[in-house]
Amino acid sequence: MAVEVKGMKTWSGLAKKRRRPSEYEVVTTNLQTRTRHPDQAYELSPAPLLEMNEFYKRHVSESPLQHPDWEGFRDPDEMIYRVYTRIQDQQEQYVDGLLDEHNEIGHDATLSDAWLDVLERLYTPRRFLQMALQMGAAYLVQIAPASTITACAGFQDGDEFRWLSRCAYRARELQRAHPERGFGETERRTWEEEPAWQGFRELLEKTLATYDWGEHFVALNLVAKPAADEAHRQLGRIGRRFDDGLLGLMADNQMRDSERSRRWSAGLVAFSLENEGNAAVLSGWIEKWVPLARQAVTAYCGALPEQDDAANAALGAVESFHRSLGLDA
Amino acid sequence: MALLEMHEWYDLARDTNWTPGYVAEDEIFPPELSDPFGISVEQWETFDEPYKVCYRDYVETQRDKDIGAYSVKSALARADFFKKASPHWKALLALHFSPIGFAEFHSASAFARMTRFSRAPGMRNMATFGTLDEMRHGQIQMYFAYEFIKQDRVFDWAHKSSKTENWIIISLRHALDDVEHTRDAISAAIMTNFAFEQCFTNLQFIGLSADAAKAGDHTFATMLQSIQTDEARHAQIGTPLIQIMIENGRKAEAQQLVDVGFWRIWKQFSALSGISMDYYTPLEFREHSLKEFMHEWVVDQFGRNIKALGLDLPWYWDYFLHDIETFHHCQQIGIYVYRATQWWRPIACTSPAERDWLEEKYPGWNDTYGKCWDVVADNIREGRFERTVPVVPPLICNMCGLEVTGVAGVGRQVDGRTWNATNFHLDHEGRRYHFCSEPCKWVFELEPARYQGHRSIIDRVLDGTVPPGPDGFYEYMGQSFEERGVCGYDYQWIDGYDMPRAAAAE
Repeated sequence: MAVEVKGMKTWSGLAKKRRRPSEYEVVTTNLQTRTRHPDQAYELSPAPLLEMNEFYKRHVSESPLQHPDWEGFRDPDEMIYRVYTRIQDQQEQYVDGLLDEHNEIGHDATLSDAWLDVLERLYTPRRFLQMALQMGAAYLVQIAPASTITACAGFQDGDEFRWLSRCAYRARELQRAHPERGFGETERRTWEEEPAWQGFRELLEKTLATYDWGEHFVALNLVAKPAADEAHRQLGRIGRRFDDGLLGLMADNQMRDSERSRRWSAGLVAFSLENEGNAAVLSGWIEKWVPLARQAVTAYCGALPEQDDAANAALGAVESFHRSLGLDA
Repeated sequence: MALLEMHEWYDLARDTNWTPGYVAEDEIFPPELSDPFGISVEQWETFDEPYKVCYRDYVETQRDKDIGAYSVKSALARADFFKKASPHWKALLALHFSPIGFAEFHSASAFARMTRFSRAPGMRNMATFGTLDEMRHGQIQMYFAYEFIKQDRVFDWAHKSSKTENWIIISLRHALDDVEHTRDAISAAIMTNFAFEQCFTNLQFIGLSADAAKAGDHTFATMLQSIQTDEARHAQIGTPLIQIMIENGRKAEAQQLVDVGFWRIWKQFSALSGISMDYYTPLEFREHSLKEFMHEWVVDQFGRNIKALGLDLPWYWDYFLHDIETFHHCQQIGIYVYRATQWWRPIACTSPAERDWLEEKYPGWNDTYGKCWDVVADNIREGRFERTVPVVPPLICNMCGLEVTGVAGVGRQVDGRTWNATNFHLDHEGRRYHFCSEPCKWVFELEPARYQGHRSIIDRVLDGTVPPGPDGFYEYMGQSFEERGVCGYDYQWIDGYDMPRAAAAE
């Protein structure tokens, strides 16, 4: 007698939805182990005996941002790994094409001194900002109370590294074209000392030192990242006027990743709003962090040449993102 | 193409440390999460992984890997293979897929801790790939498991196991949370990337892959191999860290991290890969025994690697060599006889031909473990099925969470031909803790606060956490009546035992 073997239509955990789950749901949901017990995120001594259980309890279980079922969150893009690598491979191919074409025509040699000053001061030091954004996303990966949030943050972590890498690549290209300048040499000092960057440095350092998972999400994904990326969009826009079409095209491409981050972040806010009380918590954090972002964008965009109200354009985009979150109602 | 080669620019992508100016350095890099060893940032900046990869190449390579693995053709072949697969192979697939999806996905967080808290820029980059890799491994294995669910509901556990309190899942979470998830970035990386990934993932992903290829499960074999290529890349993080630790006078700490991590992960793989290789793989498809594989891939390779690094073999090495030959045989008996506590359909895999193979690979098997199986076989032959299931719950190790069985040649055992269960215990702050082995006890004694508050499944029965009544235990573990394991062959494996007698009578 063989044992009777029965099948099921779908995961029991998704069956109550009464619809066919997407591949995203099949492979991304319910993989989180950290939220089974409020004082025992990890399967060892509960808080306070084990420091990491105390850490998770303080920063997640006792966060002002609460939801009874974070695992219910869904990424509006339903991004999965095998789609992510496919999309990003295409995008990287596109960027390779841009770099190749511009290199062929000796693009960097044609840039004016005035614009090279800007690139040296306001573009290539960005890799340090990208590092901070990458570290911030990586914090969300490990602290998030749902596998669907971890996945979104994981792809964002990859995206930040993507642009850190491209920024480093461009620094080396510019260094080769203009070895008398500081490309590839002075970025760290500029990031640490140049007044135009100090607002962003303060914003990001303070974000990294924020460990409550909800506040970190707000500070990073609703405020610091949109502000930093919108400022970069302005740099790219102005670059076109200085015959640096390459920077503009690369910045446009970077904004695709930034917008994906905003889509899932807005999705997570919408999901959070199912729980009464979260609207005030989220609004409060946004109000707390926006002044630092405003200061950062103003300092950075104020240093751009022929800026044409770049700061207001960047801040306007961030505010419009905030208005879209439905927190005012 | 007028593009720069990676080596022409990547040094800049690893020059990303700055000195915080608006918050104290310790606020961004708290020592307890970043580096409790007090090594200077300049030293961490010397971190240099041997094989470098950039984002651009990463997404291209990974895209290509997945195109092959997810092809429709291979999905059809997989479904077809599964329909025809024996209960052996089905048990193997269930054992593999049930815990691995969440465990691998969870590892994305361990790498993210390295990206966030390491002060070595090269390590942060490498760990970012680690995070993405582990998301891949979680997702691809969930995808494969899902293909089988329409045919077999045991695969539901690939999705549900992460949150259950089943004793096997507790055991796995305990080990992984200890090694990967509850320590500073450096310690976790040494334990995860060196002690775990460099030593053991080969077992499941290369060893099992060889068996799968032989069994005709080519898509499973290919998937396992492609996972191992990722593991091999990101596992590189461990070695340079150990070098930095040694150069900065932290050899003893590095040694202890390796010794603890190696032991904890060995216990898990011993049960998972040991049972898969030496029992669940159909006899005709077995490529290596666990012991052979361990000697080639772990004992020899790890032994060489660790000495080359300037560390020593773990202090329990002789004990470990014994354990390779014994522990999983004991666990296989426990898994079979307590089968209702598992969600899949355990199988005995001790037909006469399989016993011959086990005896050949593990001389003395018949006189030790075989005697237990004789009792099980006799009870089945006599129709006393209820006697094939123990009435008392097992003693569970307060470290590895697996059954306390003792191992041949250890404890009260003297001649190597029989064995007695040996319980290593420790009285600590008013309670007694039980361990399966000296190293499990040693790990506990190193950091009691880390472990003492955790309750094994048996502790939970005794303290009333598990509801009383015949079903309480199973319901607590997330197992409905249909989700309680039964013998995968409905005891028909016993038929083989009658054949030699029948042949003799003719």
